Amino acid sequence: MVDFFIGLFLASLITALFTTRLYRLLVWYSFNSLTLGVLALLIGIKIDDNAMLITGIATIVIKAIAIPYFLKSFSQKFHFIRQIQPNIKIQYAIILIPAILVFTFYLAKPITHMIANNSNYVAISISSLFLSLLLMMEHKNVAPKITGFLSMENSLFLLGITATNGMPMLVELGIFFDLLMAIVVINLLFRREEMKNA
Amino acid sequence: MIFYITTIILLLLLAPILLSFIKSLKMLLLFKRPAPLLQGYKNFAKLMQKETIVSQETSSITTYAPFLVLSPLLVTMFFLPPIVHGAFYVSFVDAFTITGLISLSTFFLMLLGLDSASAFGGIGSSREAFISALVEPAMVLTVFSVSMMAGDLGIGQAGVNLAEHFPKEHMASFLFAGISFFILLVAENGRIPVDNPETHLELTMVHEAMILDLSGVYLAIIETAASVKFVIFASLFVSLFIPVGLEYSAPIAILIFIAKLFGVAIAVAILEVNTAKLRLFKVPNLLGISIVFAFLSLITFYVLGA
Repeated sequence: MVDFFIGLFLASLITALFTTRLYRLLVWYSFNSLTLGVLALLIGIKIDDNAMLITGIATIVIKAIAIPYFLKSFSQKFHFIRQIQPNIKIQYAIILIPAILVFTFYLAKPITHMIANNSNYVAISISSLFLSLLLMMEHKNVAPKITGFLSMENSLFLLGITATNGMPMLVELGIFFDLLMAIVVINLLFRREEMKNA
Repeated sequence: MIFYITTIILLLLLAPILLSFIKSLKMLLLFKRPAPLLQGYKNFAKLMQKETIVSQETSSITTYAPFLVLSPLLVTMFFLPPIVHGAFYVSFVDAFTITGLISLSTFFLMLLGLDSASAFGGIGSSREAFISALVEPAMVLTVFSVSMMAGDLGIGQAGVNLAEHFPKEHMASFLFAGISFFILLVAENGRIPVDNPETHLELTMVHEAMILDLSGVYLAIIETAASVKFVIFASLFVSLFIPVGLEYSAPIAILIFIAKLFGVAIAVAILEVNTAKLRLFKVPNLLGISIVFAFLSLITFYVLGA
């Protein structure tokens, strides 16, 4: 079951890479975070870690519902361009994405023996890190770049919950506060963008 | 053996109903009065009674191509995975055979479009060639990857293996293959993001453009071929990617299978209502996503074993 959700995680990230509409991108980001939250819940139940259950619920509430909602309302408030064309042509992205995946799968191979269980997940989370970097690279506008940043945070979180047997909860709460700060900064960025548009 | 024959007859009977079901569900979702479920049969009966007119410009291809469109698909129906435990099935047919048979049928459809030398037929054939050239590699990769996971290259055997012991450890690559195959199902059957089956507007049509000159019995055969193609894809999808229900006794297993087919039809109908048709030159992007997922499923299976 964990494999299934990890597949959904990677699949929603890849689909987000091909999206050309802002709201659809936010939907994919929200779906991505939802699978991450469910993964945290599943792994938390498996290793019997209450802190991870709380982080799972917090992930679903904050990242899957609150952040996409706020981003959408910001972009409505500041009248953003909702058509986001990737700079990298889709023909090249089709070659590039499997190349990145193959590269990172082999890249993660030497370190996988250090992690006792779930060694595959390390490879997938590192590759999703690279894919979200690609998502940041391939767009010019601010909003998709921010989504790329947020999904990069998601893949780091995935690395955290799968590679370790439960991170300290303090660290994860710290990450959440960081994210909230990031959203405040994003708000400022959006205002600047609006001034540029006007 | 009796279940083998029953399955094929059942699929043939279900084929027009499934397409009419999609149509009526779409009409229901758009707040129209839905068409009856047996509309496919009514159309078939009506077309069989009508006079068949063949254009003077055509060669002999038009007279035999409709049968050659239908017959590879009928042959494919004999190679599908079983739906009842202990039923007879053909085990040696692999991804290349199924894809080859389906593209043989597409080849004759394209010839049929070109044969009457009308402008529309040419447009339709070139577009169909464009789409099916992109569908085939993804389809071979996807079915190949699933049969690798099942541990047997034959599709029938793969379906049985998947139902008996489902590869839980390969769930991630299984999911990627499922996404890829669903996109192929939509693309190859000419449903909405790729082709709109209801319109006769020259800018958008692919499948309808090729068969615009046909009438009577030939049109009935081609429409049957379209519905049979859909039922082949849907049944491959449900027996490879939703392999549940094979362990029950025969009547319940058949009922579960039919329910799964209708589930696929509902998914396609909801997708059709919710998406706009893509521009023709954006279709490669969609099929590119499908190729990416198919390739991803293979490499996840080989490199990670997940």
